[in-house]
Amino acid sequence: MPNLPLTRRNFLKTGAAVAAALPLAGAPELLAAAGAPKRVAIITTVFRYLSHGQHIGDRFIVGYPWEGEWHKPNTQVVAMYVDQHPDGDLSAERGKEFGFKVYPTIAETLRCGGSKLAVDAVLIVGEHGKYERNEKGQILYPRYEFFEQVAKVFEEDGRVVPVYNDKALSYSFEKASKMVATAHRMKFPMLGGSSLPVTWRLPDLELPLGCRIEDALMVGVGGSDAMDFHALEALQCMVERRGRGETGVKSVQMVEGDAVWKAGADGRWSKELLDAAFSRSDTPLGPGDTESRPEDLVADGWLPKLVQNPAAYFIEYRDGTKATLLMLNGALKDFNIAVRVKGTQGIQSTQFLLTPEPNVTYSACLAHGIEQMFETGVAPYPIERTLLVSGILEACLTSKVQNHQPLATPHLSVSYRPPAQSVYCKV
Amino acid sequence: MSKSRPQLAAVITEHRKYSHAQHIVDRFLYGYGWHGAHHHPEMDLVALYVDQHPKGDLSAERGRDFPSMKIYPTIAEALTRGGSKLAVDGVVVVGEHGHYPKNEKGQTEYPRWRFFEEVVKVYKDSGRSVPMFNDKHLSWNWDWAKAMYDTSRQMGFAYQAGSSLPVTWRIPSVEMPLGSRIREALSIAYGGVDSYDFHALETIQCMVERRQGAETGVKWLQAYRGDKFWDALKEGVWSRRLMNAALCRSHTLTPARPGFNDIFPTDDDMRRIVKNPVAYHYEHLDGLKCTMLLMNGLVRDFNFAAEMEGSNKIFSTQMYLPMPDGRTTLASFFSPLVNNMEKMFLTGKAVYPIERTLLTTGLTAAGVESLYRNQTRFETPHLAVKYQPTTESTFERA
Repeated sequence: MPNLPLTRRNFLKTGAAVAAALPLAGAPELLAAAGAPKRVAIITTVFRYLSHGQHIGDRFIVGYPWEGEWHKPNTQVVAMYVDQHPDGDLSAERGKEFGFKVYPTIAETLRCGGSKLAVDAVLIVGEHGKYERNEKGQILYPRYEFFEQVAKVFEEDGRVVPVYNDKALSYSFEKASKMVATAHRMKFPMLGGSSLPVTWRLPDLELPLGCRIEDALMVGVGGSDAMDFHALEALQCMVERRGRGETGVKSVQMVEGDAVWKAGADGRWSKELLDAAFSRSDTPLGPGDTESRPEDLVADGWLPKLVQNPAAYFIEYRDGTKATLLMLNGALKDFNIAVRVKGTQGIQSTQFLLTPEPNVTYSACLAHGIEQMFETGVAPYPIERTLLVSGILEACLTSKVQNHQPLATPHLSVSYRPPAQSVYCKV
Repeated sequence: MSKSRPQLAAVITEHRKYSHAQHIVDRFLYGYGWHGAHHHPEMDLVALYVDQHPKGDLSAERGRDFPSMKIYPTIAEALTRGGSKLAVDGVVVVGEHGHYPKNEKGQTEYPRWRFFEEVVKVYKDSGRSVPMFNDKHLSWNWDWAKAMYDTSRQMGFAYQAGSSLPVTWRIPSVEMPLGSRIREALSIAYGGVDSYDFHALETIQCMVERRQGAETGVKWLQAYRGDKFWDALKEGVWSRRLMNAALCRSHTLTPARPGFNDIFPTDDDMRRIVKNPVAYHYEHLDGLKCTMLLMNGLVRDFNFAAEMEGSNKIFSTQMYLPMPDGRTTLASFFSPLVNNMEKMFLTGKAVYPIERTLLTTGLTAAGVESLYRNQTRFETPHLAVKYQPTTESTFERA
């Protein structure tokens, strides 16, 4: 074992959190076990170096940096299910070293080979691995299927525990809705989503609750449907703080290629916001990149020359708010947002900091939120955010394959209140 | 009534991709992203002196692209813009990078003292002096650095200097409260002696100068390298808790074991990973002990930790450098450095005290000296540098 600086503070913090833990429906055993490590099952598609399953899972096995300490969560990974075992699979090796078994089915994992649910928390990471893509380009990760099997065990054994689901709930909003409905019906806490909403922000920007957002523009990079999900959730965690909270999405449209620039020229997205978002980037890839020149790529009109296949995701919310995600591969390499807030605040902008590989310390920010839920039984932010973003992404990709036509989204009337307290990493 | 835009001269060693002068000069020419907009400094860089023109030199190209900036063959001509009297309102001196001799102590003899002397000669000949910025430490040679400082005080011009580290982003975005009672402080960084050690020393100094009683100077410094470093670690010469805290602020901790992407290293891991560690351990006149660690191979960032009186919590943060070594494309940490220069040129007042950089200049030289003298303790009575920190924070956070 590494020399973990397990401090008095860590110990006190854990103790306090356990004392404050809310009782879970049908889970009296958890209270009896207060103070004992939470027994965690990891359900993942693959467990190889730098797969999400490994880097998030390992946070609960070897700990993670938090507030300037090597924080060891009060958890014990006791069982793992891995759907695929490609070259480089580390699950068996990890299990051997840290004393847990890799089971052949999800049910056996949750029951640790016995007859009853034998864990206190479930970490589902259905990202990476070889799965088919559909006609919309979505990778058909079996998150819904994993979740259904978990819920089935809960149902059969008459007990529920908190569940984390990495990234989008599902490629299908219909499936994602069922997952959330099941969690609510069976009354277990559920958390989902990306690291972007919880990573550090440069600068440390949170929009005030109840602010009036006139326009929002997110700029991201990477492929679909992997990185666009992250960018959409980063956008959502900012705009959800408007007015009286989230009420859902009325329509979406995705356009690509020259139509993106034309939409900008037509005023459909704001050049001023794009300029503000770009001013936050540390990775512009302009012609000056060969010389590290700090140019104004937006004002100087460089973007159409730099970006081969731009994509714009237009979102119109039910309360009339409009937001846009621009995916601009070739122009930059980081994730930035600009929001026009009505009143004195004007344009607010920030970068969602994705720290470098291999540490990807932003996933420690995510792990901390997951750990909080495992400890207290309360999700630090609503699963409806992730549900809505899962639906926005699917609808945008539907628009894409339907000749980039606008798409009404009456099914996306997802309402929720954002957390009153900021939940991103400031420490 | 609008005041006319200040006219600046830059005196630099070389201008090629990623040289300090490129980052700084280009920010005055092209502007840079700042607080949510592309910011163009409200001043004009009108004269440039370039000491060396290596392969990849970009200065001639910049001169063509910006005809308002003229390149002159001497420092005096740059400052007088070809005339007989000082003809600029501010001077930016960047004596970093370029081919200069290394001495037997391993110091690169960058010509910052020579640049300074030539600039000051024009000031004297013109009977007028203007604000000056000096990139990084004042000089590799303490006596010269002290003379530069003294001259600036005697002549009464605003003088600002140092590293980007004190002014860049912090993760988390925290400031050492003024008047803090600090028990011990430490930084962990990477890079070489007489190079990044200076940055790591400024990382510490910009924080500890805010302690109760403010800065009083440094009594002695002891450097450790290689085996002696590991012995010192074992003996507890510096706080293990602080070292752990600083390592836990890093975003670039080399995984100690294959198959793990983020795992805390054991002492054995560290010994294997870090081939040639360096520590500068030193004591201030008021008794505060500080340690600067260069742990090449283990981290690629700058992290700070301090133990505070009356608190069980370690104060720690990372001074974040978005480094264009594959992680970013722009060294955006030069933006707050340049922005603070602009403030000085607009107001005629240094934003933060030059004494900070005078002291870290002396500490850098003392570290080199201690290493050169077989890692023996080096007494530093000359480093009784006293100063008050700024009340307001000057690091980037907006």
